[in-house]
Parts: sequence; structure tokens; C-alpha cells
Amino acid sequence: MTAASDPAFGLGLLVALLAACAAVVAARAALRWRIGRAARVDRGTGVDWMAGLLAVPRRYLVDVHHVVARDPHAARMHALAAGGLLAGSTLALLGLVPPLGASRLFWITTALAFLLALVGGAMVARRRYPRRPARLSGGTFQRLPLLLVAYGGGALLVALAATLGDPLAPLGWLGLAMAAIGGFGLVRQLAGGPMRHAFAGALHLAAHPRPGRFEGERATALMPADLEAPRLGVATPADFAWNQLLGFDACIQCGRCEVACPAFAAGQPLNPKRLIQDLAGAFKSGPPAYAGSPYPNARPVAGIGGPDLPIVGAGALIHPDTIWSCTTCRACVEECPMMIEHVDAIVDLRRFQTMELAAVPAGAIPTLSESRYAEEPGGRPLSARTDFAAGLPLPLIADKGSCDVLLWLGAGAYELRHGRTLRALVELLRRASIDYAVLGAEERDCGDLARRLGDEATFADLARANIATLSRYAFRRILTADPHALHVLRNEYPAFGGHYELIHHSAFLDELTAEGRLNLVAMPDGRLTYHDPCYLGRYNGETEAPRRLLDRLGLERVEMERHGKRAMCCGGGGGAPVSDIAGDRRIPDIRMAQARATGAATVAVACPQCAAMLEGVTGDVAQVRDLAELVLAAVEAAPASQGAGR
Amino acid sequence: MIPHAEALLKPLTIKGLTIRNRVMSTSHAPGYGKDGKPQERYQLYHAEKAKGGIGLTMFGGSSSVALDSPATPWAQISVADDSVIPYFQQFAERVHAHGAKLMIQLTHMGRRTKWDTEHWLPTISASARREPASRTIPRAMDKNDIRRVVRAFAEAARRCKEGGLDGCEISAAHGHLVDQFWSPSVNQRTDEYGGSLENRMRFGREVLEAMREATGGDYVIGIRMSGDEMLEDGLSQQDCLEIAATYAKDGLVDFINVMGGQARDEMSHAISLPNMSFPVAPFLFLPSAIKREVEVPVFHAQRVTDLATGARAVAEGHVDMVAMTRAHIADPHLMRKLIEGRDDDIRQCVGAGYCIDRIYVGGDALCIQNAATGREATMPHVIAKADRSRKVVVVGAGPAGLEAARVSAERGHRVVLFEKDDRPGGQINLAARATWREALSGIPRWLAAQVSKKGVDIRLGTEATEAMILAEQPEVVILATGGLAHTGFAKGAERAVTTWDVLAGRIEPSGSVLLYDEIGGHNAASTAEVLARKGCLVEMATHDLQIGQEVGTTNKPIHLRELYKAGVILTPNMELIEIYPEGNRLVAALRNTMTAAEEERVVDHVVVDYGTLPVEGLFASLRAGSVNDGETDLDALVAGRPQRWTGEDGYALYRIGDAWTGRNIHAAIYDALRLCKDL
Repeated sequence: MTAASDPAFGLGLLVALLAACAAVVAARAALRWRIGRAARVDRGTGVDWMAGLLAVPRRYLVDVHHVVARDPHAARMHALAAGGLLAGSTLALLGLVPPLGASRLFWITTALAFLLALVGGAMVARRRYPRRPARLSGGTFQRLPLLLVAYGGGALLVALAATLGDPLAPLGWLGLAMAAIGGFGLVRQLAGGPMRHAFAGALHLAAHPRPGRFEGERATALMPADLEAPRLGVATPADFAWNQLLGFDACIQCGRCEVACPAFAAGQPLNPKRLIQDLAGAFKSGPPAYAGSPYPNARPVAGIGGPDLPIVGAGALIHPDTIWSCTTCRACVEECPMMIEHVDAIVDLRRFQTMELAAVPAGAIPTLSESRYAEEPGGRPLSARTDFAAGLPLPLIADKGSCDVLLWLGAGAYELRHGRTLRALVELLRRASIDYAVLGAEERDCGDLARRLGDEATFADLARANIATLSRYAFRRILTADPHALHVLRNEYPAFGGHYELIHHSAFLDELTAEGRLNLVAMPDGRLTYHDPCYLGRYNGETEAPRRLLDRLGLERVEMERHGKRAMCCGGGGGAPVSDIAGDRRIPDIRMAQARATGAATVAVACPQCAAMLEGVTGDVAQVRDLAELVLAAVEAAPASQGAGR
Repeated sequence: MIPHAEALLKPLTIKGLTIRNRVMSTSHAPGYGKDGKPQERYQLYHAEKAKGGIGLTMFGGSSSVALDSPATPWAQISVADDSVIPYFQQFAERVHAHGAKLMIQLTHMGRRTKWDTEHWLPTISASARREPASRTIPRAMDKNDIRRVVRAFAEAARRCKEGGLDGCEISAAHGHLVDQFWSPSVNQRTDEYGGSLENRMRFGREVLEAMREATGGDYVIGIRMSGDEMLEDGLSQQDCLEIAATYAKDGLVDFINVMGGQARDEMSHAISLPNMSFPVAPFLFLPSAIKREVEVPVFHAQRVTDLATGARAVAEGHVDMVAMTRAHIADPHLMRKLIEGRDDDIRQCVGAGYCIDRIYVGGDALCIQNAATGREATMPHVIAKADRSRKVVVVGAGPAGLEAARVSAERGHRVVLFEKDDRPGGQINLAARATWREALSGIPRWLAAQVSKKGVDIRLGTEATEAMILAEQPEVVILATGGLAHTGFAKGAERAVTTWDVLAGRIEPSGSVLLYDEIGGHNAASTAEVLARKGCLVEMATHDLQIGQEVGTTNKPIHLRELYKAGVILTPNMELIEIYPEGNRLVAALRNTMTAAEEERVVDHVVVDYGTLPVEGLFASLRAGSVNDGETDLDALVAGRPQRWTGEDGYALYRIGDAWTGRNIHAAIYDALRLCKDL
């Protein structure tokens, strides 16, 4: 038998041919990203290709794996299928080299690799048949396991035939045919199917807009928009940066975002997976092929898209209600194994709607105009921000000139509910003899709401005005009970020249109690659960300080299933409460039910939005208490003589 | 959730004086003054509001500046000499300790007082025109009087400042001397103090200027005035607007405290101190109109009973501060509860007017539903936990039983509350069925909500038996089974029905009705109104000197107005002596209590009100087994000590409210509070 008529040799050629085809398909796909604007990277630089490409293995094996491994079965499945496929194919290609191709041991090794691929493929099949889980897409995705099994199984037969020799030669040819069918099928899936994620995902890791995410940073700050650009925000696919387009193509439609999305759970017309597919489809010809779960209660759209056609609108691909349903909680981003930045895309789309079209939901109109003209989203006088004190003395930094801790009050100060929290915090500061002050009427809104609603211009004005005010005073750090303000001042003001040391009151009170500056007594028995604010946990990585603090109160702390960085949103972020997009249920109702399911009588919160949203739930509810209120109760229960600084 | 509640929490600064929020209590006369001084009881009453978070509390609803305006009526305060200053200082310290501000109201009552009290001095006014309410005829003031009274106001203002009070207002409302000068209904002078409005405003101007001079420019001085006297020959709304605008523009006043109406006679009292027959905030348009004309802050009180109304008044800009005076009598911790997010726990004023009505008969102001108000030295507004948790069974969920259950639960006891009816409230449920008395239902509604919130085991629709009570193994059994109406003692009384039968709808009278009342309370008057509205021809007879004799100043005129309007024949000084049948009708024999002449009425129904007699069945069966033989230690009850059987094995048995003896709602609630706070 000649080498040329050997199925094993044929397999090598097949792999070489597939690789060549894949390269062409991938290159054609990649060319489409070029319609996008220049790459956007949160470090303000372009894509650092060298560093990025060198970092891909680490980013893949560590960071991606870290996300994938939250579902251990999926991690094993992927390791087997992808690893087996890559290893087997590489070996098969090497088999073209004469000494190796003649080695029985080599073909045993190759067979083993393809066996692994086959097992992986079988696991993919097992996951999708007989019943496909709702979060997984169907369509071409249902063919994927068949192609994997055909390619892996076929190649396994070829390798086995090569190992055992002539008796099995017919089987070898059969295997080669199977591998060819499977292989070409897979290559075809590179263009628009599941396999696209393989090459787009790898490149996405190299050219990621937030490289800090692979270096232990939270990297959650929105990137400033160029307000001098001829078009603000994103109207058409061509308005996205090319590496964002690349990111959309990396989606493997695993549906983890869909499961995590609070708006999806509430039946609002947002499904992050579908959204990314719409965006990925928008810059290609023809309507996107999509066989996953739809936008819940989907609003009708024309379904027309193209590289230079509008993305959002009833006459386009995505209904406006979809982008205004987002709470910017980043749960989808946190869950995405492909490290896609959904929230960036949504805010980019909102920026165009808000700044170019003034097409915002009715409820958000006053919020934005008041943010702009009154510098406060509720239109309330800035001087009224300290009214919450209800008679408590509040030192003004204008009177003191400097202080150790500047207390940033935030928009919640105007609300009765959060006023209680702030009064508790102020009382704790007084008891701990903290040298603190507030800005009083000089504090403008931090701009969080305007920015999340796409009004970058108002945000930039507010940021600059606040930075100018802060520059007049000396303080060591800024304390706030509002994670949104914390995030904006800590992570988003630096791009505007404001660099401050921020501390959230959970961490601050944790410090004070750890140092013994506040004496607590253990509270009477009671079961409590802690709801992580998105902007504290996911955005700022602070999940432990609140828990340490609560544990000092001596209450029985239980966790909701979704907690820490994977906690579910209260529904209060991203302007969602003012946008008020109708769904089947309210997000806070879902979250409160999760809290009640723990059996806790109290749900501890650390954010004015969370408090307001959860306290708005009716029926069988847990009482909502901010950390500061709980700590104050424990401090007040302590014998007065022990109170430091009294 | 109270809409716009944040508007109430905004501090208000007047001349450098910062008041922490927008809710206040106006100066009024609780009848707590002693020897013309605000002593402990008076101070504690206001300190409780301060503790409860109020921004500003004003006291001394008409504290007198001169001897011919005596302090004795309504047990008021005299600021006519320096001996009051130390009391002011102590008072201010008590209130300031809780972060609230304290102001006083100064006045000369003019003709609106009595000459036959401590000093026996003639009353004075702008002109010698009799006031119907006080029934005094004043002497027209001469220039010396004017000079003397102006000086007296100035001296009094100085005493307020030296006493550490945060400010003061003069009363130019309710027909006091300053507004007697303003009002053409009184002022008939022909000199520079009478005639044109400018002349009539002169006396008040001189008073305010002298007070300013005596206290320096930085002291807060305001004025309480009517926004419209609503009197044919009185001050119109336009006059009042002009007075307010002029005094404010000329810098004479730092705030204007506006009310509606006046108080020259019975009906005008009822209107200017609106009871539950009025809508909430009926005169809010008056301060609102003045606020448009002046730069100084505007305050207002008049039946703002709930925070939602108060918040609306402030948020919509009608007033700068809202006065919730009676609301604080019902719950002095109103603001603290709002601030702490416990607004559901606020005991809301129902507008019964019990507090104000008591002072017009020389009593002390007490709240129909909060027995701790005015008794701060002995009765707690916040109930302390007991050392040991006991098992308490309360029978009857009327006001007494509900309060007993509430207080016991607050004490940390395990409470079972039996009620044979399918809803709590007892006799209040009956009283609330009578036309404008419906708001009484707020009393049991709050109590029942608190009781269920505090975890009391409430068993409605369950008539307690001895066995059921003992099965609970109680340590304390409190019988609050109330009383039952009866048909009285006249011959043939069995032919009569009671007012209860009518209110409960057990009978539906038609035709002619004789309603005979031996109590003089709301009950018979309400029932007469109900009957007349159902189309009956009603005659209401009573043994008393007048109809509704026991009903107070702010309620009686409303009853009389409604009874007159409904065509009820009012027959006082008549005793029911016999009822006998004639055909299918009844003859009621009446005897005039003055002449002893007898008269007869042929009617279709005789309805009577003789009050209630206690329901005593359970008491008789439980008494023998109790450790105290059913006795209440009255010395301990009055002294505020625990009953002497507390802690003995077995159960102690007590009776409260009408089950003890038929009285009123306040008595029922006070019985319960003072017994249970020490259990």
C-alpha cells in the first residue's frame, strides 16, 4: 500500500485542507470587523497585539477557564472536545511526516487524542439530546455534536486502522469519509456557527477592550465617549470599535448571560445572548440566524440590519425597550466565558439614542433634564441634600476647610429611606470620633444615572464640576454609602482627572469595628441574609467587608444562592427604575423571594437603590436594613460607657 | 409611605434660628398651668413632643402679659412679672435637650376673659362690646390703658428672651385684644385707634414695635392671626391679607401663624377648632393666600391630623411649617416614627375634640385615645419590657381590652385576646355608625393593628368561657367585656328601645319618636340625628338643662346645628316617668323638672339612653378562683405600683373599662394603660 492510498495519510491531508479552508473562512469573517471604528481599549491605547497574543494562553487557561469551570461538567466537556480535537488534528497533520506516519505508537497516541475528542463530542450530544436546555441555542448548535462525533469518531477509526494495519483498512476509509464530513461541517460552522467562537474568541482575548480584567482588576469603568466625534454613540454596526465587533463574534451562545440577566428573569424584553447575536448579525448580510430563547415579550421589529443600517428602532433589529431594560448590573459580563462586554455595547447604543436622537423612555426625560439643568436627577435643590439629617449636626467642609473623611451623600440622601441609613452612618461617625465633613450644597450629582442612561455630555459636565469642587478641599478619603457614587468617583472620575481614595461604608465600618473604635454587642437571635449591590460586589469586588461586618453583629448569616460577585440585581441600576420597561414581574420581587427562601427575617443592604427597590416589595417580605442601621443598633445596645468618643 | 414626607424634614431657619423640621405644635391651653407657671407637668408634656422629634413646640396658648388679663381661666401662664423666668429656663432646657425649639404665645385677652377671677379687675377692649363666649362687657381702653398694655407686652417679651425661649408670638387670633382692635365687629373707636384699617392696626403695631425694642433685633417674634374672621361685620379675608402683608413688610413679625375664623361664640369655637365632622385641613387656603403676600414664613394649624396632609401642605407651598397640635396630643412621637420609617405606628388624631372640650369646662387636656398624654410624669408613651413574661388573657376587644392587650404585649407578655364579635372595637363600632362620628373607628383600628403587630393571639368571633380562659393557664385575666345599654327605670320601660338598638340597626323606627336622654353625651344626640335623617319625626327630651349637656364646646354646636337642621324638637328639663301603650302606639309621660307639670306624647317609638351597665357573668364565675378575689388595689393603681398580687400562683382577675363601670373611651383606655403598665 502506498502512502497516498493510506487513509491515515489522507487524514493528514484532510486536516491540512481543513486548516487552509478554516484560515480562508476566518479571514473572510475577520475582514468584516474592519468596518468598525478604531479599537477601543480602556487603557486609552490601541490594541497591544504583541502582549495580547502572548497573553492568550494564560487568559484562556486561567481567566476563561475560571468562568467556564463554574459549571464543572461544561468545563470537562469543553476540555475534552476542544483539547482532543486540537491535539488529534495536530497529530494527524504531523502524521504526514514520514517517520511518524509509520509509527504505530504515534497512531495510538493520535487515536487516544481523537478518542478524547469523541468523548467530548458525546458529552456535547448528551447535553443537547434528547432535550435541549432552554438556555442553549438550537439550530446549527444542535448539529455541532453530530459534526464533532463524526469528525472525532471518523478520525479515531482512521487512527485505529493505522495502528492495527491492513485488516481494518476499509474501516479506515470509512473513518476518513466520516472525518471529512464532520471536518468540513465544522469548518463551515466557523463562518456563522458555533465554531466561530474558537477563532474569534481567541482573538478577542488578545484584543480585549479591558485587558485589566485578565490582570486581577475589576476594570468596570465605562469608557468616555468622544464628544467631538461626528456621531455620538453607536447607531450602526460600523460605529462600534472593531474589537467590540470581534467580541460579539466570540459568543458561543451558552446562555449563561441569559440565566443571570435580571431583566430576562422579569420578562422584560432583554436577553443578553440574543442581543449579542443581533449585534453580531447586524454587520453581516441577511438577518441573523438565531435559535435560542427570544427576548421575553419581544416587541415587534422589522428585523432589517446591515453594516450601515441603524441597529435600534422598531424599523431595525433591536427594539429600544430592549436596551432600556438593562440595569447595567454586569451579571451577564460576569458570567460570560468569552469575556464579552455586553454593558459597554448597551451604553454605546444608549448614547446614540440619548445624545443624538433624544429618544429616551418617557420616565427618563425628567431625570436627564434635571441632571443637566439642576445638577440633580430629581430636580431637587442641592441645598436640600442635607435635609435628611433631620436635626443632626452635619459639619460642612466649607466651614472646616479640610477633614479626614469626606462623606459623599449621593442622591439617596433626598429619600426618606436612605436618610435613615445616612443618619445612622453619621451617628456612627460621631460616636467613633471621626473627623468628617460633607460638601452640603456643593455636592452635585455624581452623574451615574446620566451616564448609564447614555447622557455622556451631562455626565462629563457633572464630573468636571464635582472634581473642581473637590479640588478646593483637603481630605484623605471619600466615604460613601452609595456604591454607584463609589464606582463613579473611584473608577470613572480618573478619566476626567479626579483621583480619589474611595471607601464604601461597609468597608469603613468594618475598619472601625475591627479597630475597636465602635463597640458592638451581639444582637438578639435572628437570621439575616446579605444582598450584594452590583456596583459594590461586581463592579468593585467588595464582597467580604460587609460579611465580616455582619458577622460581628452575631446574627445568623445565611447566603442566597446567588451572592457575592454572582448576586442578582435588585433592579435599581442603570436607570431601569425611571426607564420602567414593562415585564411580567418586577426584579425586586424576584430578589426578595430569593431572600425569603433563605428563611431570613432581615435582608441587609448596602446601597440606597437596593434598599428602595427591595423595600418596595409587598407581601411576605424580609425587613430591609442597611448595614449602617444594623451596626448602629448593635452599638446602641452596647453599654453607653463603652461607646468610644462619647 | 407618605408622599412628599421629605418636605417635612427640611430645616427652617428664621433669623438664625434653625428649626430641625417643618412640623410644630401651636400654643394652646392644656390646662396644665399651676399658679400661673408652666411647671413639671406642663414641661414634660412638651418635652415628650421634643423627644418625639417635633421641630418646634409652642406652649402657653395665650399667656397673659398683664394683670387685667388673668391667667386663671384655662389654668394659664402669667408673664406679667419676672417670677416666671426661672420656669421658662427650666422648660427651655428640657425641650432643647431633645433638639426641638420652644416658643410661647403672649397675649392680652381683652374682653375674652373673666373679671371675677384672681385679681377682680375689669376686662378691657377697644370698645365696650360684649363678647358672647365670655359674657363679659369690657371697659373701652383709654390712652393710659393702651400705653400700659403695650409696655406689658414689651416686658413680657423680654422675660421670654431671658427665660431662654427661642421666640414668641402674640395672639391676634380667636378674638384677643390685638384683633379686637383690628375687627370692626369690636372696635368702634373714633380716635387714631379706630376707623380705617390702618388706624385699627395701630395698637398691634405699637405692641410689636415695643416688643422688638425690648428684645433687640435678633429675637424671633411672630403673630397668630386669622386669615378670615368669617363674620359679617368682622375682618374679611382681604383685610387679613392686608394686615399680614403690612406687618410683614414693615418687619414687625418674623412669622405669621394663620388660622381660620374666630371664637366669639359657641359655633365659632366649633368652626375654628374643627372636629371630625370637618374634612382635614379645611382652612388651608387661608395661610396659602397669605403666603403669596409675605416674605416671612407662614405656619398653620387646623385639623391637619395626618402627615400626608401635612406633607402636602408644605410640599405644595401652602405653608412653611405645618402645625399638628392635636395630632401630637394623640401621638407625641409622630415625627420620630416618620423619621424612623415607622409611620404605620403613628396613633392618628381622630378629631374627637376630647382634649379641647375638657379645657372649656375647666378640666385638663386629655386625649380620648392616648392616656399617657398630659400624664408624662406617671404614664409612659413607650412601654418598657417587664422583667418576666407572663401569660395574660384579655376578654373583650373594645378600647379597654385592646389597650390592655397592646400594653401587655409591649411589656413582653404572652397575650390571648378573646372577642365575641367578629371584629374588634366594641361600642366604638356602634358609635361610629352615627353620621359624622364615623372617624371614631380610627381608635380601635390603630389599637387592633398594634395588637396584631405585637403578636397578640387574637380570637375573634369567640365568646370566652371560664373553661376557655382557664385552659390558657393565665397569670392575669383582664375582663374588658364592656357594658350593655338598658331601657332605664321609668314605669313601662320595657316598651322602650335603646339608642344601641337604633344604631346597631336592630330596629328600624319610622313615624314619630321620643328620644329620652339621661346621659347628655354624644350617643343620644347622634341617635336623634340618625333617626331624623331616616325620616322620623323626633323629639329629644332630657333631664338636663340643655341637650348634649356633657358634650364639649367644639362638638356640641355641631350636634345642635344638625339637630336643628333636621327639625328635631329639643326639650330639656323633662323627665321620662312612664310609657304605656295606646292602640298600636305608645304614650310617653314626661314631667318638667322645674315645674313638675306632666305632659304626654303619643308616639310610635320611645328610644332611651341611660348609659350602660357592666357585663358581669364571667367575673362572677372567675372571681372565686382568682388570687385577688377579683379586687383591684386602687392605691397601687393610682400610685403607679404593681398590683399587690403580682407574682402569686394562680391568676389575678381585674376589670377595666365599662365592664368595671360604664364611663367613656378615655376612661376605658386609661384603666387599661395604668393597670397593665405595671403588670
